[in-house]
Amino acid sequence: MVNYGGDEVSALVIDIGSSSLRAGYAGDDAPKAIIPSSYGYIPPSVHSDNGDVRMNESGASESVSKAKSFFGHSGPSIWRANMEIGNPITDGLITDFGPIPALFRHALEDVMRCSASEHPILVTEPSWNTTANRERMAEIMFEEFQVPAFYVANTSVLNTFAAGKGSALVIDIGQSTASVVPVVDGFVLRKGLQHSSLPKLVHAHARHLLTAPNPVRRPADLYPYQLISSKQAVEPNAPPRYTLREDRLAGTTQSWREWYEAREVEEWVQSVAGVLDQGWNDQLIVQHRQHKQYEFPTGYNAWFGPERFGVGEMYFHHSPQLVAGNPDIPKHIPGLITDSLRACDPELRQVLISNVVLTGGGSLFSGLADRLGSELARSFPHFKIHAPGNPIERRYGGWLGGSILASLGTFHQLWISREEWQEHGKAIVGQRCK
Amino acid sequence: MASASDVRSILSLPAVSSPAAGPSQPKNQVAVSNRKPEGISRELYSLIGPSAPTLLAQLAQPRLKQKPNLGGGGKVKWEWRLFKNGARSDSLKLGHWVKATDNPDADYKFAKYNAQPTVYEWSQDEYSRHLEDSEWTKEETEYLFKLAQEYDIRWHIINDRYEYPSGPKREIEDLKDRYYSVCRKLIRNRTWAGDEFSKSQLLLSFQYDKEREILRKKYVASLANRTPEQIQEEEALYIEIKRLDQNERQFKRDRENLLRTIAGVDSGLPDIIEDDASLIIADPKKKKLKGIDLDIPQTPVLTAPVMRRPPALNKNAVYDTTHCIIRNDPPSTTPATKVAHTPAYFRSVRISYPKAGIADKVNALLAEVGVTNSRLVMPTHANCQRLESVTDAATNLIELKRVLDKVNLDIEVLKNRLQLREDGGDSASVADATEMDDRGDTAEPEGENGRSQSVLSARSTRSRKHTRRSMSISSVDTTVATSSRPSTKRQKRM
Repeated sequence: MVNYGGDEVSALVIDIGSSSLRAGYAGDDAPKAIIPSSYGYIPPSVHSDNGDVRMNESGASESVSKAKSFFGHSGPSIWRANMEIGNPITDGLITDFGPIPALFRHALEDVMRCSASEHPILVTEPSWNTTANRERMAEIMFEEFQVPAFYVANTSVLNTFAAGKGSALVIDIGQSTASVVPVVDGFVLRKGLQHSSLPKLVHAHARHLLTAPNPVRRPADLYPYQLISSKQAVEPNAPPRYTLREDRLAGTTQSWREWYEAREVEEWVQSVAGVLDQGWNDQLIVQHRQHKQYEFPTGYNAWFGPERFGVGEMYFHHSPQLVAGNPDIPKHIPGLITDSLRACDPELRQVLISNVVLTGGGSLFSGLADRLGSELARSFPHFKIHAPGNPIERRYGGWLGGSILASLGTFHQLWISREEWQEHGKAIVGQRCK
Repeated sequence: MASASDVRSILSLPAVSSPAAGPSQPKNQVAVSNRKPEGISRELYSLIGPSAPTLLAQLAQPRLKQKPNLGGGGKVKWEWRLFKNGARSDSLKLGHWVKATDNPDADYKFAKYNAQPTVYEWSQDEYSRHLEDSEWTKEETEYLFKLAQEYDIRWHIINDRYEYPSGPKREIEDLKDRYYSVCRKLIRNRTWAGDEFSKSQLLLSFQYDKEREILRKKYVASLANRTPEQIQEEEALYIEIKRLDQNERQFKRDRENLLRTIAGVDSGLPDIIEDDASLIIADPKKKKLKGIDLDIPQTPVLTAPVMRRPPALNKNAVYDTTHCIIRNDPPSTTPATKVAHTPAYFRSVRISYPKAGIADKVNALLAEVGVTNSRLVMPTHANCQRLESVTDAATNLIELKRVLDKVNLDIEVLKNRLQLREDGGDSASVADATEMDDRGDTAEPEGENGRSQSVLSARSTRSRKHTRRSMSISSVDTTVATSSRPSTKRQKRM
């Protein structure tokens, strides 16, 4: 059973990102539990109706512990009166540890039906994670979940491993953050680490495109299905005919509504938006590119032409006016790559650029890999992009790498054991997980 | 992969032994121990013995192909066993599935991959004696070595993580240089247990040339920092150089050919080649700027190589004799063409051999006097000359002898003629008589044997008649046979 140096000790791998949390057994090729990172909660002030509303700064996590929370697939996506939506992740980092144990517990116990105290657990972290964060994570794991052993690994390194490499330039495009990380021999070069909230910019651009008044199209209303009681089929670009569920409108919180609208925009982006593989070209778009039809939950539907390619263009090019208007606009991907490589040793640049790993769910954006290839070809004579064609591998590359790592026989000496945790305390995390 | 039986044994389920098992389950045959009796061949016994194929086997139900049994067959008991990793310092016990037959006390088999690099340490005394460096404090050096151990001497990582508080900014070359120089000094100054060779090998492995590395990295960086335009220009220049080079070579070839034709110089024109080389190396930028004009070479100097002929031509007799130089002056009468020119050669090649017609005789003669005419063992100038003179003498002798023989023969012939002329009539009657005999001989088989006639038919009877006649007439003048056509013609005219 010892193939390729593997030795499975039934470890668990948990990979948490802005959009979803992935958990599963090490050695599998796909996570068993994939649940949204966002969760719904009904604040106790409304829930208990006692009126003792605490308005202090750390109120969010405090209130969550008392609040009734909803996790998983039937958590935030189901409409509940007065349900707020929270997300523990900001810019790829866990900023609110309050709901984390509950999220993990839901994934492990409710979805996977296993007990964390029986399995070593490997948790992922973004490359720019803080020491305090990873120590907090270790604390949660050892103190709350009673895990026998724990390890925290870097998503960029894991993505490199998932691609079967030791050194790579990992371009990870997630839901909220895009990062370019040079990995050499399984270690992140921190000086070359670059990340920006580019996907958010793209999202905002798409939202603006859909909702702002427009000479060609009417702005779309982004009501979710949950708030629509009935609708009628209408002609493309005709005003939609639908009725809202007035009973729900009152109980709908702003955060739930925003979350759902973001989902609507995301869905539109995923199904309609794209990027040209050779850069923006007005003539090409007018001549060859197909228009795509899309219908919103309100029944409003329209054909989207050239503008759907403008969305993807945001990943690679920012117009001078836009940059002038927003000085701290997130850097686009070529900019991130250039900055990252500039910080690396000249000797490494060729190694890295010939081992580009494209990963993350955002990288599944239509035409992005091709465009990235043509962008790289402009500045580098020899480059190679490793982009798995399988969307599961692309989306859960970090988890997959963790699954590989935690099932290696040689890895088991690296686990932080419970004993070590009790002996050395938090310092052991930084020593062991470099 | 675990087979079904593995899974069953893992889950502690009883093994399925009912006949209703799947087709992949081979039935356990009762082992019948019937040995092959002595004296019967194996092939025969397999046909007639108890295991002989029966019809039953062919009538049996068709089955699926058996799965290959890779696990060596039989049941394998697996168990979840806790193990201790020898590479760990704590008592963490992880569990994994192993075969129950495996030795539970064996070391964890991945522990051996936990190889630690050798890390050098030093005492305070050693440091103050050998390792002092104005740029490095002892603490920083220790920090560097700690990092080196932590990251297994992966320099790019060490450089990335190197954050020594209040230390100067260090480049990766500084770190490497310090590390390797400390290691070298320690190896050099410590007592070495092994032999000298292994010590020098180890020292060699810690060799590091900082300046060179920095220079190399600069090259790498400059190579990487080229703009596309620069790369294009570089490529264009490269192609241009190639083209120029080709032109140059073509030109050189042409010139050489020309020189051969004109001055009769053959190989070995080093000055010309040098001339070309200097021409090619000349500033490529300048060439590039000039562009296409350069297709016409700048230096069509035909006279230059001729003028610069080495001073081998100045004839200094004193110099030659002191250095034993003997010159073979080319014959001045021959035109200075390529054909006339002779490149360098061995002296022995020039030894003249006798003419093919009389070579055998000359060789025989030389052998008679005890001189071998084959290659000289020591073909010095004097030896060659002497051999040549001997050969010449022999040749002359042979020639003279031939002439003498010829003259003697002529005298003999003329004497005979004189004799013939003195008694001419006798000889004519004799000739007639022989002719008549000859005719009788040929006529006789003509009637008898058709075959001989056909053989003789190549000669026409008419020509034979002529022959006969001419013979009778001309027999007086000559003894030579007169069947040739010119003579018959002459006869006709007469």
